[in-house]
Amino acid sequence: MRPLTFSRLLMHCAVLGAILFAVVVIALKMGAVPVSLYGLVRDLFRVAFGQASQLSSEHQLIVFNIRLPRIFLSIFVGASLSVAGASFQALLRNPLADPYVLGISSGASVGAILALIIEPHLALAPAIAALFTPVGAFLGAAMTVAAVYFLGRREGEIDTTTLLLAGIISASFLSAIIQFFMSTLSGGNYRGFAFWIMGDLSTPLQPILNWILRVGFFVAAGAIYTTAADLNLLLAGEKEAMHLGVDIRRVRIVVYIAASLLTGLAVSVSGAIGYVGLLVPHVMRILFGSDHRILLPTAAFGGAIALVIADTLARTVVSPSELPVGAVTAVAGAPLFLYLLRRRLA
Amino acid sequence: MRSRNTRRKSTMAKASNAFAAAMLFALAWSLPVRAQSIQSTPSASPLYKEFVDEAGRTVRVPQPVLRIISLAPSLTETIYALGLQDRLIADTDFCDFPADAQKKTKVGGGLNPSLEQIVALKPDLVLLAKSFNRIETLHALETLGIPAYGTEPHTVQQIISSTERLAGVLGAPEAGSALSADLQRRLSDLQQHLNGFPPRRVLFVVWSDPLISIGRDTFIADALKHAGASSIVDSAQDWPQMSLEEVVRLQPDFLVFAGSHAEAGQNDIEVLAERPGWRGLDAVRNRHFAMISDAVNRPAPRIVSAIEDLARQLHPEAFVPLPDDEKEKKAPPTAEPQLSTVALESHAADTAQMEACACAP
Repeated sequence: MRPLTFSRLLMHCAVLGAILFAVVVIALKMGAVPVSLYGLVRDLFRVAFGQASQLSSEHQLIVFNIRLPRIFLSIFVGASLSVAGASFQALLRNPLADPYVLGISSGASVGAILALIIEPHLALAPAIAALFTPVGAFLGAAMTVAAVYFLGRREGEIDTTTLLLAGIISASFLSAIIQFFMSTLSGGNYRGFAFWIMGDLSTPLQPILNWILRVGFFVAAGAIYTTAADLNLLLAGEKEAMHLGVDIRRVRIVVYIAASLLTGLAVSVSGAIGYVGLLVPHVMRILFGSDHRILLPTAAFGGAIALVIADTLARTVVSPSELPVGAVTAVAGAPLFLYLLRRRLA
Repeated sequence: MRSRNTRRKSTMAKASNAFAAAMLFALAWSLPVRAQSIQSTPSASPLYKEFVDEAGRTVRVPQPVLRIISLAPSLTETIYALGLQDRLIADTDFCDFPADAQKKTKVGGGLNPSLEQIVALKPDLVLLAKSFNRIETLHALETLGIPAYGTEPHTVQQIISSTERLAGVLGAPEAGSALSADLQRRLSDLQQHLNGFPPRRVLFVVWSDPLISIGRDTFIADALKHAGASSIVDSAQDWPQMSLEEVVRLQPDFLVFAGSHAEAGQNDIEVLAERPGWRGLDAVRNRHFAMISDAVNRPAPRIVSAIEDLARQLHPEAFVPLPDDEKEKKAPPTAEPQLSTVALESHAADTAQMEACACAP
């Protein structure tokens, strides 16, 4: 492992940040309504220099009130899923671990649908009602992680195969429960939920949810980052890490809670989007090595870049209709994953 | 050893400081978006009227309403029925009636219309139907400052009153009351014809495999009542999946199918009638099928035509030709399917007999 230096981390993040910025500009340009690159750059400069009032109202609505919030949503959801995936892979010492494969996304979906069903019966204040679904999704994610973790243990140690199987079986069990609850939803809710569950970023968030997503991401990702050095030692094995002085209990609790929070937040605002949490950390590991102090931030940038690209495709491929973004990530992610798998075997 | 450790620690601290700074920068970068997101753009015309839509929201509608976008086939039909099609600037991929509606600019499907396409067309008003659109789309348009009006009729009467109210919102109240009066007259005519005939017990087939029917709270169930029929399905769900066993136990008098092409529908019926479970239904053995236009699936004025058509197929004896009634009777859609039903009757009788033999011991 190459020693971590300040400049190396900064350089990686700067390069990825520049790529993300370029992708965001391209994503701002693309869409059902054509916007010229010149007009877009001009508008961006106007906003940057506080002259937003000079924008044409149509451009302002389409570029800054429809596309930009949606791109920010993609950035935070992609980064959350990717950081959650990277930390689960480290903690469970399993390259296949990700929120989707381990059933955590399904668990979050069950929590979210239960919240949707219960919420109308409680007569909550609007501010609390807005939080109800994310909280439900977080609880669902956290309980699934705990269940899968305990089911995946064998003689006190995590067993890779058992854990993976426990995750896959939990995912299919939870999917069946989701199907059951969906059949009890009424027409309007059903359509909304059916669309959401395929992974959907098209619905603008309520401001409060937007803030929870952003603040939640930085708090949870920051918490995971404090364990980055311990996660590196964990790669050698739980017992070995313990002998090297790692407080396994603390790391486990921090990472489980924070990664479940990231997954729960992402799922509650966007539905279950697969492959981002699985693939992006692998690609980043190939590019930048497996030092988690570099891997976690680069995975955040990578996840953001990947989901912004995927959502831009979802918006434009069948324009003016839209694809669910989950379909795009699956179509692009599955072959890429198989390629990486074969490459590793070869 | 010690110095190396401290050096490593300080590098680490620097690194995490830098990371925290980067995160703060990212957070700050995302700030201005919120600040500017809800600046609704005042339209050129200063005149507004306020209406309460069927979702209970107050909608400020610019006057006059000259640029309308419909996000549901039923609303597109309603606009045409009111004669306001020149003001309809765009509709969805599924708006296929009348044929002219297919030529309008499309903004995508009902569940996933393109918001930016809608914004670019600068509509005065966007119309949504709860039965076809998502509530999220309504909220999104609201956030973008685009007037959006939602409709939600649950019965045939509500379809008529909803149409009349919509005509008022669009600034054509006379067209609305004329259309509503005509529909009411046709429905009460129908009631007079059906007076004294007990309702037929029917199974409305939404989908045959798996078998999906309608719940009691749908407007289709209400339309059946107007046509002198009652659904054998009594479910609180809107689109219940039925077991064939249950249908055999309830033995409907008639099976009702709705489709856009009478001939294709007829073929489907024949395929269905040959399936094992379905052969056991009296309605199948007696060829008691009613085939009506898919207008019955849409909460729009045309549903009254579908109701009339269904009533004639279920209660032919109620429409025994009176001399002055004759011209109304020649509704083309009923004639053809009935002919083909007759043609297939003999074949069906054979099948029924064979089955009777098989069951005899």
